[in-house]
Amino acid sequence: MASRAELSNFLAEVERRAYKQALFAVRDEDTALDIVQDSMMRLSEKYADKPVEELPLLFQRILQNAIRDFYRRSRTRMERFTSLSALEGDADDPLDPLEVIEIDEDVNPFATPHTALLQAETLSLVEAALQTLPPRQREAFLLRYWEGLDIAETAAAMGCTEGSVKTHCSRATHTLAAALESKGIRP
Amino acid sequence: MSREEQFARQICRVLDRGTEELDHGIAERLRAARERALQHQHVATLSPAIVGAGGTALLGGDDEKHPLRTALAILALLLGVSLSYYWNGFSQASENEAIDSALLADDLPPNAYLDKGFQAWLEKDSPAGQ
Repeated sequence: MASRAELSNFLAEVERRAYKQALFAVRDEDTALDIVQDSMMRLSEKYADKPVEELPLLFQRILQNAIRDFYRRSRTRMERFTSLSALEGDADDPLDPLEVIEIDEDVNPFATPHTALLQAETLSLVEAALQTLPPRQREAFLLRYWEGLDIAETAAAMGCTEGSVKTHCSRATHTLAAALESKGIRP
Repeated sequence: MSREEQFARQICRVLDRGTEELDHGIAERLRAARERALQHQHVATLSPAIVGAGGTALLGGDDEKHPLRTALAILALLLGVSLSYYWNGFSQASENEAIDSALLADDLPPNAYLDKGFQAWLEKDSPAGQ
């Protein structure tokens, strides 16, 4: 089982990302904090006997369930930002932003010669773009890439098939690329 | 790594920076939430020890850091079971003793209760039998 120190370290490592995940989903700081706190509490109370290596997936399951519970309780649909699909270009020949975005392998594109202000703006645009994603796409993207879960683990945390995870991730990535491209961000 | 995955990783690096620059007030509230959650883990790990002392053995529990506490809990459990056993034994003996004393102190000899004729006489002689 996870010792107190192990659990503490784990929570300290994930709490900020968890908060951001919840915030992207519910768009309210207090509610996001409540969701993270409840998730931490539940993990501590119910799964303290689990090995430390099982904690990431367990915690993500709890967190995602808590976010879904919030959706169910509030019964309000997240307002979508401007339809990002419109940014993809001509309907007959949609432009794939990933095809035109140039990635420099050797340089962190967000760190070069941009100012701190520009970085803050980039962050703000990325977070705003994430908020516009449909909840399941955002969930899949964040679990798969930000939390580093593999496809099977992401599917388990989301309660869907691995194929759905791949689809959600792909759509999320392309939508994000289109949204950032439209703002002049070329990662 | 696919182009899609590379892009996703870059997005995540930006997001990581966002978590590093999290508002101090939010970070403090998260830390407090973590502390509260950890206190609940403490309660969850203590409660089996309490139950163990009350009658459920705590064997191989999650308190490996406190073997003395575990040993004391097991000792208390064994002591409780032993006391309960002897208490029940004494109680039963005391009850039997009272019955025996009543039988022996009575004018009627105990063997009379085993005599079928006596039972028949009692039934015949009782007011209900008349």
